[in-house]
Amino acid sequence: MSMFSFDLHKRKILTVFLLLLFVWSLLGVKWQDGVIHASGVGTASEIFMAMFTPELSANILALAFESSWITLAYATAGMSLALVLGLVFGILASGVLATRKSSRTFLKGSFRGLLGFMRAIHELVWAWLFVASFGLSPYAAIFALAIPYGGILGRIFADMINDVPNEPIQALQAAGASKLQCLFYGYLPSVKNSMISYTMYRYECAIRSSAIMSFVGLGGLGYQIQLSLDDLNYDEVWTFMYFLTIIVVLIDGWSSLLRKRMAK
Amino acid sequence: MKKRKFNFMWFSFYAFLLLIGASWYFVIGVEKASLTELFSNENMEYASKFFKGLLGVGEEEIAFLNQESWSDAFTLSIETLQMSIMAIGFSTIVMFLTVIPAARNVADGSMTLSKKWYRWFVFGLIRISYIFSRAIPELVWAMIVIFIFKPGILPGAIALALHNFGILGKLCAEVIEDTDSRPIRNLASSGANPAQILMYGVFPTVLPKFLTYILYRWEVIMRTTIVVGFVGAGGLGQQFKLSMSFFHYTEITLLLICYLILVFIADYISEKSRYFVK
Repeated sequence: MSMFSFDLHKRKILTVFLLLLFVWSLLGVKWQDGVIHASGVGTASEIFMAMFTPELSANILALAFESSWITLAYATAGMSLALVLGLVFGILASGVLATRKSSRTFLKGSFRGLLGFMRAIHELVWAWLFVASFGLSPYAAIFALAIPYGGILGRIFADMINDVPNEPIQALQAAGASKLQCLFYGYLPSVKNSMISYTMYRYECAIRSSAIMSFVGLGGLGYQIQLSLDDLNYDEVWTFMYFLTIIVVLIDGWSSLLRKRMAK
Repeated sequence: MKKRKFNFMWFSFYAFLLLIGASWYFVIGVEKASLTELFSNENMEYASKFFKGLLGVGEEEIAFLNQESWSDAFTLSIETLQMSIMAIGFSTIVMFLTVIPAARNVADGSMTLSKKWYRWFVFGLIRISYIFSRAIPELVWAMIVIFIFKPGILPGAIALALHNFGILGKLCAEVIEDTDSRPIRNLASSGANPAQILMYGVFPTVLPKFLTYILYRWEVIMRTTIVVGFVGAGGLGQQFKLSMSFFHYTEITLLLICYLILVFIADYISEKSRYFVK
């Protein structure tokens, strides 16, 4: 079913409805009291101008490199755990290991629910809960990343496995393969490439999330950005923001190269 | 060619293993983080106290059993919903304004059969703004925006929109790049002007796909509203932080329940509409 089969007037109704929703949301702002600080415009132009004059002194650059590494390390460590979680839970949630229909429904339902809960809560909220209960530790950041990312990866992996065409699997089964053999020789090889590209995309997101972990007191680029903002030192803020952008662009470039190679 | 592909894949694989190893070495070896310390008796006591606090064990006023707190939380939830819709609205508007020149096949003129020297320049400029916008997380944008705007849901929506227009723009520009250019060239060669090409050629083909992406981003925005609230950008997140600082743990439970309900509603709507658009 496509949106094209929509009659023209139905599409118009949908557009009007979405516009009305947007207008309703605008009503939530108290426009009449003024929305900008008294000095807001000046601050905005100061921040904007600082964009062209980032602080490039040696010690700031050294600090930026160090915080970039912390951000990258937390993201990578968290992502490696998330990948394990996602693979295990994803395979279980896809239900391909179940032998009977009833156990399959049970597996699918319970693990999909668990994955849904893991990813429903934002990583920063997880981080906050961990720090509040266990205190400041790099593990708080790593676990806080691993749980929601494991949830997202697991859910997408399960969807991918469920979308594998049936014929090759049936061929394996006819040849006498067990459930586990079907998994390793049938399902996983056919979804491997899409799994790698999706994981790479999430890795890029994990870098950003790891950068904001600083907000609960864990180091990294976000922490430096926050400190510089508190000092009203906008030049430094932009230096760190450029570093974050560079890491994200590098990861993005790597993943698109990988995807191109896999497509060939 | 085959050999090179093989090499690059293995190179990536080993590079990843190295990165993962180095990261864990850094966390465990350099930062001296220890797992056993994390689960020490002292920490377990803190944790159990915290979770008991969340459940309201031994507290006099339990927010999630109190009708007044529920109605306050409901107002905040509506505010958060408004913030998310405003955010996706803003980013959609900016995306629509910029997406056409940001498509590669518009920039090189193959789409409209007309070449202009400045097109590549505009293309580059918009693409750089997209990259920059999505590389900076919402929370950092919120920290900056809060310097300019008064606290409330508007700065939150602007921060969310700043991060999301880059993502939406990139996704939607790729949709335009993937469209079949033949019907559009046909329109161009029969004398349609750029506005007409847009209205009759481009939009009808790409809008359904755009809508799926917009809904998908809306779902993500819903989940992030709580985070931008932390820096004073309104909604459930702002109250969450206040309750956290006052140690009103039962209020936190209530806010988390409302947040989860909102996220699940957004999830459900976006999932259902994705089937619908398919």
